[in-house]
Amino acid sequence: MPTVEFYLKDLQRLMKKKVTAKELEELILYAKGEVESVEGDLIKVDIKDTNRPDLWSVEGIARELRTHIGKAIPKYKIRKSKFRMVVDKKVERVRAKTVGAVVKGLHFDNYFIKQIIQLQEKIHQTYGGNRNFAAIGVYDFDRIKFPIRYTTVKPDGIKFVPLEAEEAMTPREILKKHPCGRDYGHLINKYPEYPLMIDSKKNVLSIPPIINSSYTGKITEKTKNVFIEITGHEIDRISVALNVLVTALAERGGKIYSMAIKYPDKKIIRPDLKPLKFILDPDYCRRVIGIDIDNRDIIKLLKNSGCNARPGKKIIVEYPAYRNDIMHQRDIIEDIAIAYDYNKIKPEFPELVTLGAASRLESFCDTVRELMVGLGFQEIMTFSLTNEDNLFKKMELPAQAVCKISNPVSLNWTVLRNQLLPSMIEFLSNNLHIDYPQKIFEIGDSVVLDSKEETKTKTMKKLSCVMTDNRTSYESIASLLDALMVNLGLKYELKEASHKSFIPGRAAAIIVNNKPVGIIGEVHPQVLNNWGLEKPVVGFELDINKIFEMVK
Amino acid sequence: MYILTKEGKKYLEKGLPERRLVEFLRSGKKTIEKARQLEDFAIAIQWAKKNNWVMAVQGEIELIKEPEDYPEETALKAVSDGRQINEKTASILINRRLIEKEREDIVKVAKKSVGKEITNLTPELIKTGLWKEVKLKPYNVGAVGRKVYPGKRQPYLQFVSQIKKKLVELGFKEMGGPLIETEFWNFDALYQPQNHPARSWAATYQLKEPKYGSIDKNIASRVGKAHEKGIAGGKGWGYRWDPKKAMQLMPRAHGTCLSARTLAGKPDIPGKYFAIARCYRPDVIDATHLIEFNHAEGIVIDESLTLRSLLGILEMFAREITGAKKVKFFPDYYPFTEPSVQLSAKHPEMGWIEFGGSGIFREELTKPLGIDAPVIAWGLGIDRLAMFKLGIEDIRYLFSSDLKWLRETKMVI
Repeated sequence: MPTVEFYLKDLQRLMKKKVTAKELEELILYAKGEVESVEGDLIKVDIKDTNRPDLWSVEGIARELRTHIGKAIPKYKIRKSKFRMVVDKKVERVRAKTVGAVVKGLHFDNYFIKQIIQLQEKIHQTYGGNRNFAAIGVYDFDRIKFPIRYTTVKPDGIKFVPLEAEEAMTPREILKKHPCGRDYGHLINKYPEYPLMIDSKKNVLSIPPIINSSYTGKITEKTKNVFIEITGHEIDRISVALNVLVTALAERGGKIYSMAIKYPDKKIIRPDLKPLKFILDPDYCRRVIGIDIDNRDIIKLLKNSGCNARPGKKIIVEYPAYRNDIMHQRDIIEDIAIAYDYNKIKPEFPELVTLGAASRLESFCDTVRELMVGLGFQEIMTFSLTNEDNLFKKMELPAQAVCKISNPVSLNWTVLRNQLLPSMIEFLSNNLHIDYPQKIFEIGDSVVLDSKEETKTKTMKKLSCVMTDNRTSYESIASLLDALMVNLGLKYELKEASHKSFIPGRAAAIIVNNKPVGIIGEVHPQVLNNWGLEKPVVGFELDINKIFEMVK
Repeated sequence: MYILTKEGKKYLEKGLPERRLVEFLRSGKKTIEKARQLEDFAIAIQWAKKNNWVMAVQGEIELIKEPEDYPEETALKAVSDGRQINEKTASILINRRLIEKEREDIVKVAKKSVGKEITNLTPELIKTGLWKEVKLKPYNVGAVGRKVYPGKRQPYLQFVSQIKKKLVELGFKEMGGPLIETEFWNFDALYQPQNHPARSWAATYQLKEPKYGSIDKNIASRVGKAHEKGIAGGKGWGYRWDPKKAMQLMPRAHGTCLSARTLAGKPDIPGKYFAIARCYRPDVIDATHLIEFNHAEGIVIDESLTLRSLLGILEMFAREITGAKKVKFFPDYYPFTEPSVQLSAKHPEMGWIEFGGSGIFREELTKPLGIDAPVIAWGLGIDRLAMFKLGIEDIRYLFSSDLKWLRETKMVI
């Protein structure tokens, strides 16, 4: 969820209305935003819609709120120009597409520069998939000689000073040494040649999507005019991003100039801010929202959300070219409902005749919980993510195949547990100095591998319980297990079993209908040492899924 | 010394019930119905079985071993004659209530306390009525005894159980599903494009072992088409959908995959479903973030549903679960719902809280799963409510490993 930072005063200027921070808190909800913090004049807003880059800047927010409160839908004028970009066939395999535009007459100050960088970054992160689908370069127009060439270069084929660096570097050096090169190098480093944006005086603009040159690609308070290019893999996607950027600049008085982008096989003109069309069935609209509004209302509401519309049996909606999110009538219908105001729609609870029911397995778990509580155990809830050390090594067990996470955030959480007993023991190790006796249990999920399953795994519910005190005995836990089994109506046997986590001769498999359903025993002192426990521990673990099948 | 009870006297005269059963069976096996007509049959069979004298098979009882003697009977005779018997047999006979301690003994024990101030009221004093002649020492009744800890539910899970009960009362059926999901059910079936930032490494966990699951070819091809070219009048996301990516396994990131599975599995229409599902998200654990959490969410399916009904459902949740009388609705965004609504409820004590997110599933989601009726999807922020009820500000306490806290935290009422 993008967070946008700006000054309230700036928003007021752009909105042409003196909204207060308090009013903004309400109003921003209509841009699917939320005020995150207010510190003096500085406001932070979270925009929830990850599909609307046009709202990820103060300029875009101001525009959205302006039309929402009834001001006119802005019309951005595009001036024609002779500026050109030429796209080399060589880029096809590396980073095939680019679009660009020129915006003139800007008055940058420190704050404005920060705003543009902020918008650029938000687009990079979310919409651009960390610069993969869209990477933006903004340059000082007056230091560039058109036409611009978008081509490729060998890793050592050129040298220039990148932004935030002191000396000239080759692209190879940039990928190795420059922070941006290290962060984004993986997007191009597998190709023999890297993308290159260069002007006709052979001044480097940038190595997209990595870094701009310091000479052409640095915006300062002296910059008046800018050239913007966006590279990526799909023209439509990067064109929307370009529209978002140029209209944001136009909100601050910039004059937009279109340019021709010449591909080997075609020529396109960008930016293209011609509104896009979508056909809306007003009956469907009424059916989705569930309110009685006529077509005239619908058209008025569309205007409030920044769309022009022409009446008819089917309404033709024209939505701005900087919007990325319209792919179905529903997307427009939501705008209509938002403009109408959700809170003016009278809620109506649908009277549907349905039968409520808890899952039978879950109900069974509740019955078991009730018995365990009755037997004096404290229920606990632990994480199902753990690591192999806890699961096997500290339990003195040989490693088994378990579900492994490929991108763990910490070495503590790398696998899904296949049994609960280690979680119980770990819990005890966190409570060494709490009153004894300690009796705890959990009914929780574990995951085992099963190649026959659609997900190659099976989620198994288990009951695990342990108790510890200065003295405890196998007999005491066995009698508690007996009480549980008798009350579940299960006839069972205990068969001596060898299990490395338990003391030899003090562990048994719990058998029902000749099938093993769990294990009971006194925990091995080596395991206690491994976990730093100082008192004997007994416990059992039961496979809830299996015994549920037997009792149901 | 012992004396015979009434029952003891009867057995001395007629013989023990098990002896009578043995004698009855000496002429061959008998059906249970027939044997049942014997006096004291229930007692007889219990003891005869215990001693392995008889066996009951398929409705018939058979004598399998002739007893050598009946020591209890001998002992009964001895007691009746006023002779000593050994302690082991005596305890069996006391247990069988065939003999009891002579009354004089009880009186003797009880009399020792007469006239004294005593601490413990004893069975002897109660039986003999001699309690009238002793003084029972008063206690310090204000003293709190030794601390005891009851067996108890985990406070957060207890709260979750209450929410579940409420949802069942409102007519919702519980859904279940695997913890490890294919990306298909977690994302693709929810119309979340494969290049969506929420599907990146930073946003969700992925498995390296096992790596790929399988997907249903028919459903997958319909879902893929919806992504690529759109469905139901939509344009689609316009990219090349990759079934291999959809097969990648992951610990589920939300409970919404259960809703997708339910929709694909021919649900009831009208239907209401819910799940409180364990979900996973790569995050750094701190006071406001967990890597595992529970999602409460579900769906409502019916031809008649509209945005208005969605607001009605949310209002009902706010009223029934938080006790709120006032609610507010705000626009929201989820990749799989349109329109989307955020619910804020005015909790009587907490004030305005964000309590839920919801929306009407996009047709690009429902159509490929074979559902033509509108489907309302909702999720509730029960964790914040739980934290308030449990008086905690650190979300880690929901998974508390602090036994003292678990023991001492009051139940959610």
